[in-house]
Amino acid sequence: MRKAIALTAILLGSTALLSGCDKVKQAVTGKAEIANTAYPEKVFWGDTHLHTSNSPDAFGFGTRLDPEAALRFARGEEVTSSTGQKARLARPLDFLVISDHSDGFATVKNLYEAPRAMISDPTLLRWYDLLHKGPEGSMQATAELIDAKAKGTLPPEILNPKAAEDMLRKDWLSHIAAVERYNEPGKFTAFVGFEYTLMDEGRNLHRNVMFRDSGNKAATVLPLASFGTVVPDGLWDYMDAYAAKTGGKMLAIPHNSNMSNGRMFMMTDPSGGPMSAEYARRRLAHEPVVEITQIKGDSEAHPFMSPNDEFAGYGTAGWEIGDLMMVERSTPEMQPGSYVREALKRGLLIEQRTGANPYAFGVIGSTDSHTSLATGDEDNYFGKHSGVEPNPKRATEPQNLGTRDGRFGWNYLASGYAAVWATSNSREAIFDAMMRKEVYATTGPRMTVRFFGGWDFKAEDLKGKWVEAGYARGVPMGGNLKAGGKGAPSFIVSALKDPLDGNLDRVQVVKGWVDRAGKAHEKVFDVIWSDMDGKRKLAVGKVPAVGDTIDLATATYQNTIGAPELSTVWSDPEFDPSLRAFYYVRVLQIPTPTWMAYDMVKYKLNLPPEIPLKHQERAYTSAIWYTPA
Amino acid sequence: MTFKDNLRRFLKEPLVHFLIAGALVFWLMSGRPPDLGERRIVVNERVAGAIAQRFHDSFRRLPSQDELDGLIRDYVQDQVYYREALALGLDQNDEVVVRRMRRKMEGLAVADAEAATPSDKDLQALIDKDPARYAEDPRTTFQQVYLGADTPENRAQADIKLKQLRAGQSASGVPAPLPARLDGASASEISGMFGDEFTLSLRNQPTGQWLGPLASGLGLHLVRVDNRAAPAPPSLATVRQRVENDWRAAAVAKSRDESYARILKGYDVVIELEK
Repeated sequence: MRKAIALTAILLGSTALLSGCDKVKQAVTGKAEIANTAYPEKVFWGDTHLHTSNSPDAFGFGTRLDPEAALRFARGEEVTSSTGQKARLARPLDFLVISDHSDGFATVKNLYEAPRAMISDPTLLRWYDLLHKGPEGSMQATAELIDAKAKGTLPPEILNPKAAEDMLRKDWLSHIAAVERYNEPGKFTAFVGFEYTLMDEGRNLHRNVMFRDSGNKAATVLPLASFGTVVPDGLWDYMDAYAAKTGGKMLAIPHNSNMSNGRMFMMTDPSGGPMSAEYARRRLAHEPVVEITQIKGDSEAHPFMSPNDEFAGYGTAGWEIGDLMMVERSTPEMQPGSYVREALKRGLLIEQRTGANPYAFGVIGSTDSHTSLATGDEDNYFGKHSGVEPNPKRATEPQNLGTRDGRFGWNYLASGYAAVWATSNSREAIFDAMMRKEVYATTGPRMTVRFFGGWDFKAEDLKGKWVEAGYARGVPMGGNLKAGGKGAPSFIVSALKDPLDGNLDRVQVVKGWVDRAGKAHEKVFDVIWSDMDGKRKLAVGKVPAVGDTIDLATATYQNTIGAPELSTVWSDPEFDPSLRAFYYVRVLQIPTPTWMAYDMVKYKLNLPPEIPLKHQERAYTSAIWYTPA
Repeated sequence: MTFKDNLRRFLKEPLVHFLIAGALVFWLMSGRPPDLGERRIVVNERVAGAIAQRFHDSFRRLPSQDELDGLIRDYVQDQVYYREALALGLDQNDEVVVRRMRRKMEGLAVADAEAATPSDKDLQALIDKDPARYAEDPRTTFQQVYLGADTPENRAQADIKLKQLRAGQSASGVPAPLPARLDGASASEISGMFGDEFTLSLRNQPTGQWLGPLASGLGLHLVRVDNRAAPAPPSLATVRQRVENDWRAAAVAKSRDESYARILKGYDVVIELEK
């Protein structure tokens, strides 16, 4: 009888069961050790936020490429996208974290491949039929799925991960096996990870989780689902339990604070009470890095809080109007808890009160692509999901999850990537660099940016071995200035263009501080810009614009303006040693065409005037903090 | 090993069961009207067991008697409708059915390749076919002085500084987060930092002397190539991981294509369209 059942199960089941087991066996173990440099000499580029066909929404939106295809693409191979288009990165990435949603991990793929007769839940049955109806039905099913997740009305089969644990384990192990096969220390680093899709109604509190360890360790746990909770504490418990059990490490990366309606970076603890020092320390210990920019908008700064920053508000159009699901519209008083610069200021305020800073995090960019394709280049952009892979309509189509309103294809950014100053291209070195926050974000271009803070840096330092000096006499991005220095802190700032992209317009230092009355402030300093002694001489306090060489008829630009490199030593002219402060660097490129401008030329489109065709891409570094002695 | 052993082993392979099962499914669904024998729907222990098993796969428990009865009623209804629908040819021109059948066939075609383990000989053959793909990049050790954007002034500066360097003096460039010396850098590392154009022009320069300026995606550089190491031919030991990944990806694609080509041979495809 048992044997008969097994055979029939095979007869009627899907291929997944068999190939899943075999893939685990094929996992490569025991890699050669690679050497670390004495200090980080190279910046490594990667994406910590990529979805494949294992993500329920990605599959529903039409993505059929699996983790293996995602890994091959990221390391530079050509793959055929889910819509049949040849895709290849202009330059490979150095590392990748596939972060498929743990909530319903692989369930839509499994639902799609399940025998219809076995589906008894009417909602699942409806989605099954929609999924098989073609692209439009599939979109509809996915929108309903995401909506049901936000409303807490998912069918019990998906909601109850215990019931589906064996299935989940099989899919998780198969995922880990693919990651292990492609992890090549020194050449390409593949991390095990997942996305913890935490939401409070429609408010986005998502975190990506990445493992420092081998697949063998990661396989001792299952990806944690977020169902039934609206606070991240359960995730931190899970991370602690994993560390205690295996001696391994995980870190979590919050993202899309821009659609949290103020919940991502609260002044209080989640219950609304004052945040304790213990809570603040716990948060920072688990979440040392935040994703500041990605396809669904940029979360650096908003003009509402930063009216004097003429470059604030990049990539906020569409995203600023409500939470992720548009359940709740955003109001101005919600915004401070949704943006990173404001969070850095709030961190100082909380630290002043409690002695601990929950928001002393570093920043990275990543794509959040749901296509298995980690594309961050404007001229080679494969879209947020497979429905918006290159096609003539993608800029103007509404992008409303389900029946909601307000967002369009052009609101998506072809952004961004994570830059990591690590001592080797390996899991351990890259993870550790994230823990010490020696990382930065870009909206796609691969600018190289160094940032050191100390007490005695002088302009002459730039003539010598200034990187060594930076490490020896100061701290790199992500560090804390050593207290007790004389005078004002000084900073070595050096930025170099992407060799394949636009020149640089300017380098800015963004300072935030808290005064004695307990009020937070910010100021943006232009510290160096192109042609600053010539045509762009400082007139009345404001740096003249860099200009614009874009030809929209061909979507091209010239590097005849701006500069390939901008380096300086800058000292804070308004330093007050008694006040807490942070400093981070923002690098602006000259204006270049947006992905919509490239689409316009490629497909010969007439686009409505609200669609931006030019922008200034940018890099944001992690901050350096000053704490009074 | 005797033929019998081979056969026994062959029959034990789950994959073989799978292929046989697949053939059976295909045969069942090939669209013939059911003959009289197929008007018999038998629910025996085996069928009920399968139904229970699938319920268990979904819900992690066995169905209750009531649930099982319901599922069996549903099974019978499915079978009745399914056979009638086939008899009426309702599976024809139904895109969902067509696509689902195709997916099953493709799944069967690649299951073999996905589960296979390549021999060292297979892998070595793949390396021999395209050694350049698996060869380590040539390694270049060089020094560079970065002079900033490619402008007439900086070109003039380049000439002055080149003379200094050739006279054994030091010459400083523009400060930038760019290493002054790269040790054993691969072509892709150099391209990532300077752009492809620079990597190519670096390739043809003599070693041991300062020269330039060479243009890159960043501007102008004076360069001294100190050493160039030709890569050792790729050995299986060093590239096993990559070549095995490639082997599997290629094997899956190949069996999908071959199986299609094989089936296609049995068909006459006539395109009755004007060109």
